[in-house]
Amino acid sequence: MIATAAAETATLLRSRLGAGVLGAREMDPDLLWASVDRSCVREATTVMKEIGSRYLVTVGIDERPLGGGYGIVHLFSLDAEHLFIAVDCPVSAGDPRIDSITPLIPGASWAEREFRDMIGVEPEGHPDPKRLVLPDDWPEGVHPLRRDVAYNYRPPSVEGFAPELVKPPRGSSVLPVGPFFPVLEEPARFRLFVEGETVVGCDYRGFYNHRGIEKLGDSVLTWDRIPFLAERICGICGFIHSTCYCQAVEKAADIEVPRRAAYIRTVMLELERIHSHLLWLGIAGHILGFDTVLMQTWRIREPVMWLTEEISGNRKTYGMNLVGGVRRDITDAQLPRILDVLKTVEKEALAVRKAIADDSTLHARTVGVGPLSTWWAKEICAVGPPARASNVLIDARIDHPYAAYDDLKPRLCSSDGCDVWARVIVRLDELEDSIRLVREALANLPAGAVRAEFDEIPGGRVGVSAVEAPRGEAIHFVMTGGENRPYRWRVRAPTFPNLQAVPAMIRGQSIADVPISIGSLDPCFSCTERMETVSVADGSRRIYTLQELQALAQSARARRGNGDGGAP
Amino acid sequence: MLLSKLREALICVQAGRVTLPYPYAPHDPPPGFRGKLALDADRCIGCGGCAAVCPSGVILIRDDKPMVRTLHFALARCTYCGRCSDVCPEGALSHTLQFETATNTIDDLVMTIDVFMGPCQRCGRCFPPPTAMDQLPIRGFRMDSECCRVGADMPAPDAAATWAAAHSAPPGGVRTLTP
Repeated sequence: MIATAAAETATLLRSRLGAGVLGAREMDPDLLWASVDRSCVREATTVMKEIGSRYLVTVGIDERPLGGGYGIVHLFSLDAEHLFIAVDCPVSAGDPRIDSITPLIPGASWAEREFRDMIGVEPEGHPDPKRLVLPDDWPEGVHPLRRDVAYNYRPPSVEGFAPELVKPPRGSSVLPVGPFFPVLEEPARFRLFVEGETVVGCDYRGFYNHRGIEKLGDSVLTWDRIPFLAERICGICGFIHSTCYCQAVEKAADIEVPRRAAYIRTVMLELERIHSHLLWLGIAGHILGFDTVLMQTWRIREPVMWLTEEISGNRKTYGMNLVGGVRRDITDAQLPRILDVLKTVEKEALAVRKAIADDSTLHARTVGVGPLSTWWAKEICAVGPPARASNVLIDARIDHPYAAYDDLKPRLCSSDGCDVWARVIVRLDELEDSIRLVREALANLPAGAVRAEFDEIPGGRVGVSAVEAPRGEAIHFVMTGGENRPYRWRVRAPTFPNLQAVPAMIRGQSIADVPISIGSLDPCFSCTERMETVSVADGSRRIYTLQELQALAQSARARRGNGDGGAP
Repeated sequence: MLLSKLREALICVQAGRVTLPYPYAPHDPPPGFRGKLALDADRCIGCGGCAAVCPSGVILIRDDKPMVRTLHFALARCTYCGRCSDVCPEGALSHTLQFETATNTIDDLVMTIDVFMGPCQRCGRCFPPPTAMDQLPIRGFRMDSECCRVGADMPAPDAAATWAAAHSAPPGGVRTLTP
């Protein structure tokens, strides 16, 4: 069935684009790799939309050392057929331009701005072609993910630069939030455009937290070291990223993971979902000033952390994954303890759910707040609980079964509430389902080895893997290289698409509802911003930026009403 | 509404006090916890497997003296993944349960050992015993050059002192310079 879908898609592309299709082949049973001429990229995207596939992310690859130019690979997911489709558009090195697909798919905006920054290919016709990832004082023409830029390149410091800011709409004031987001204690800078108490728009500048992870992966580390770096992409869903990376490599290299390892991964993934959802519920309560929820959910969460510490040797960065399987087994002696903790967590989480279900204070702060319509959630390619709470029925565990999810079927928890309350309910439903999944996985734990040995991984292979993190679907793309490491490793954290939904969610809302609206995405700024080579944020520069921010906010206020309009 | 508040209050009351008395009472991590690295210098054969797998470049190996291999552990970089102790063929590396590693002195987090290596009868260069080589399924296990490291920021050991120490060491033995 999968093969049919891939073949059908390839045939359709050929009939629509004609000679524009340079080649189409199945890289993997679940990956169709279609190379198209760059002049046909919009037509190919239209075809992708017509067959109902969902845009995931774009990978920019510097293929000059391989004898090509730059590769711009748009990844799509045909969920119903469990198929990934990679639309690869080779771009010549002498003329690095490609048509932007953002006018067709608004959710592609950030990914295109990212390859514009990192690879240096200009997306032509992009509605907002300004820097996303690179800092404002980064020199022009230096694109960190090009192969000729060293991983430890440090640009000279620059004075007198100014960030590219969006002009506020006429008649509105600017309310700066950040550069340190006050509620989640992470670096992100929102400029809210407000009229009185009402938000009329916003500008986002983030990516202050770059750690150069992808660059390290393809220049310094080796296959089996990267899982430990991938795990540090996120402090909450680290195991998801290491699993996703390992699966992408395993797919690329045709390594078959033992079933027991797949089950153990599933157990750890679901334990991570349990503690992450409890954590999020606490944070949400905290944002609303309802700290009882914070205290109690985090109390309930703590035994899960102790449990993972017993299983893996560490409460958060488990260090369990390697390419080919896992490092530690779950012993029979541990089973009663795991089941015991699950029982307590289930009982207590249910009590909390029952208690808050009718809480009118919570309802007043969450129902109808932070609306994200089904249509826009699809257009902006939102993922995870925010998408499912807007009745977009996607879940990577079902759409692209991995680990043991082919045996253990998760329930797709969704809601048509489209607001913050719906996101609470979806997460609470998933929490219950996760407990069931862990129990089922432990009951059916197959015997055998937990790790497959592998030999040399040949270069030039491609693997795409999706893992449903608690906050949404994470995507890892690996293109193998010959030097015992990936040639290109691309990470798309779930917050990357979800954050792009923020402007729509807070428009027309009151200022007081902004923190919970953003918080309801369970945003992880650090995950999203994993990409740059060197952070230039030393102390002096940070102060400068803050002053710049204040000066700009003041001048914007002074200019208010003077006709410097222009919609954000 | 009221019922909901009562339920919430009940949850809080039932939970009681949950804060642990740490640090006034010790808090022991479970067995299997990956704490601060311990090195049994008498067991190390200098094969270099640990340096080859370390994701964060804690372990630097230098062969700048004949018959002596220097292993330098910069534990401030350690991420406690435990790969080194996994691959060590002689069980020289292990993780303790110690997690309170904060210190004002960076030297507390540095270990250096010099391992005497049996020289090759033909070329006179060092080599690890072949049996241990066989146990290591890892290719490219040597990481000799400082420039291979991510951010080579470690102090260079006093070459003369290590040279002298190496030559006073009994053949086949191991001598620990700093803890």
